[in-house]
Amino acid sequence: MIPAWHYDGQTATRHEVGIVAEDDALRLRFADGRTERVPWADFVWHDRRDGASIFGRRSVDGWRIGIPLPMTDLLARRLPSQSRYGGLVDRFGIWRAVVGFSALSAAVILTVWKAPDILAPLIPMSWEQRLGDAMIGDLGGRICDGPEGQEALDALVRRIDPKGSPLRVRIVNVDMVNAAALPGGQIVVFRGLLQEARSPDELAGVLGHEIGHVRNRDVMQALLRQMGLSLLLGGVGGDVGGALNSLLAASYSRAAESRADTYAIAAMRTANVSPVATAQFFERMASDEKKLGKGAIAFSYMSSHPLSEDRRRLFMSSVQKGAAYTPAVTPTQWRAIVDACAKDPDVKEGDLF
Amino acid sequence: MGVGNQDQTAFEFRGDWKEFFPIAASNLLLTFVTLGVYRFWATTRERQYFWSRTRFIDDTLEWTGKGKELFLGFIMAIAALLLPILGLQFLIQALILQGQTVIAGVLGLGFYVIILFLAGFATFRALRYRLSRTHWHGIRGGSDDPGARYGLSYIWKTLVGGLALGLLIPWSMTSLWADRWNAMSFGPHRFESTPEWGGLMKRYLLLYLVPVGALILGGVAAVSSGSGEGVAAMAVLLVLAFYIVLPLIALGYYAAYFREVVGTLSLSTINFQFTARTKEWFLLFLGNAGLFVLALIVALIPISALGLLSGFGDMQPGQDPFTQNPGLIVGMILAIVIPFSLVGPFIRYRNWRFFIRNLEATGEINLDALTQSQTRVGSHGEGLFDALDMGAM
Repeated sequence: MIPAWHYDGQTATRHEVGIVAEDDALRLRFADGRTERVPWADFVWHDRRDGASIFGRRSVDGWRIGIPLPMTDLLARRLPSQSRYGGLVDRFGIWRAVVGFSALSAAVILTVWKAPDILAPLIPMSWEQRLGDAMIGDLGGRICDGPEGQEALDALVRRIDPKGSPLRVRIVNVDMVNAAALPGGQIVVFRGLLQEARSPDELAGVLGHEIGHVRNRDVMQALLRQMGLSLLLGGVGGDVGGALNSLLAASYSRAAESRADTYAIAAMRTANVSPVATAQFFERMASDEKKLGKGAIAFSYMSSHPLSEDRRRLFMSSVQKGAAYTPAVTPTQWRAIVDACAKDPDVKEGDLF
Repeated sequence: MGVGNQDQTAFEFRGDWKEFFPIAASNLLLTFVTLGVYRFWATTRERQYFWSRTRFIDDTLEWTGKGKELFLGFIMAIAALLLPILGLQFLIQALILQGQTVIAGVLGLGFYVIILFLAGFATFRALRYRLSRTHWHGIRGGSDDPGARYGLSYIWKTLVGGLALGLLIPWSMTSLWADRWNAMSFGPHRFESTPEWGGLMKRYLLLYLVPVGALILGGVAAVSSGSGEGVAAMAVLLVLAFYIVLPLIALGYYAAYFREVVGTLSLSTINFQFTARTKEWFLLFLGNAGLFVLALIVALIPISALGLLSGFGDMQPGQDPFTQNPGLIVGMILAIVIPFSLVGPFIRYRNWRFFIRNLEATGEINLDALTQSQTRVGSHGEGLFDALDMGAM
């Protein structure tokens, strides 16, 4: 008989008992001669402290027995083994569990990353339009929708995008050098970009790129991907997940950006608009970035679009010698676009955030 | 059996950070590779360690909670509560956009009241869960109160406490503590809590007077010298008041509050005390802040090495260093994430050690009369508390 200590779960009194391992159960012998039989299958491991292994019973709350270490082989074989990390991890061992979980997590991330490619085209256009309308609605009265400016802008859009379902391109009264495609064929151009642009051809190139995103249905893909990742990485908890998420999903994939450029170049070629100005715009932006530093360009065109030397070269190399290029819109129309916000009497001004 | 006397403290913490480190490190690894899902099991393992290293009189405490319970509780809280709350939030925004500001305002107020209720309810349920999973000598605690009543009193006491420029906050804090603990029990005995808030008012009023005093002093200094130096002196005084003196006074108030609420708590024939004064609380927070500094130092070494290696010092516009070195981004993230993720567990370790070292109990326990708790044991853990991220409060 091995000496052990015991709580019965009924009162806090500690009992000194002797234990005997039997075939199908452990027998406890109390000081007063009373005995208790506990089937092996009823035991759960609890703790290991003060030189003893402590076990409980599945069926009795608070029932404990502390068996001094080292235990006899027979007891060690019959009683449950120590639990360390939790059921599943203990079963496989920590390193195998780490490998398994990593593989599973990688598969989940890959699914969330790739699923939008398949899911986005399945989303009905009407939903996408409603979402785009809601986002435009969030801009409130900051849209410069005076008739002249809007008409001139529409003329420019028709020139580079004559076919296909109509797009809604709007000017937003926010001093930010940027343009963005929203769901449902909505495109917004911020006032800062118009002030920065030196010719309608530049605007045509930038718009052609955003139209490319719309026509390739990149917008819903990027949005779904961002939502999925934030849900997923929200689980990691706190700032780490948030930072990871914005790093991974800040913008379109590189492939989508490059496809949008290809689209813009093709559209400009069909419309006989010169790509030179757009290439120069990229060059100017890049040198601004160098001058101003990374911090100053947050939320601007450079922060949401890749601005590599490659991109400038791509537009430059698409210039066709002897082509009969004409300006994207007339000088009068261009003035109307640039002055759209100044001429709109009831527009509100403001920051986006 | 006698509980605690001059020679021997009833509560003792015998943990060792070197023993805790493998637990924290393996928790971090498993949490990372499971995209955060393991964190419920990680919490459980941390508590198992803290409880099992905490001795009350002649035996240690035992944490019998399970990771699965916390996980289930979290899922249930998300499904049953957070989704409707998010839905309501969207509804309110949509109403504002459509110009229905009155309905949106009423809904918004209702939303605030619901959040208050849930915050109170969650605090109560978390305490109930923790007591029901704490065993000593095979006996556990708990409560049969579902906590809805506490949620209601949390609403009105928080609102009343905020009236009169928040002057009644000491009353609402002590009164809610008493409501919570008077509903809890351990074994067959109810906890009894009878805190007084009057004694806390002196320190609480200081919180009001210091900013006013600093403004007056600074103003006098500015006027009497009538120069730029006076204005500068005033600015310095204000900054000192807001960033150093005010938090210290707040800490002084909280130390007094905690001594009062624990000191007036009893269980049958046992009385509890909490001994930490402002200085000890200050040292606790100073040490916890030190852990962040330590993590920063540990993170900076590999980061600067990686940065130098990949030429961050000579960056060109249009060039993205991360795409050119895909391994770099992973290395940088790990160098930051690993040390800072270990800060959390060690702050919890230090907080628990602080709590137990300063907790005292005196009186008598009759072990034969300390029978098993008859309260119901819930199947899920403090999910709502976790979902609302209230552990951070």
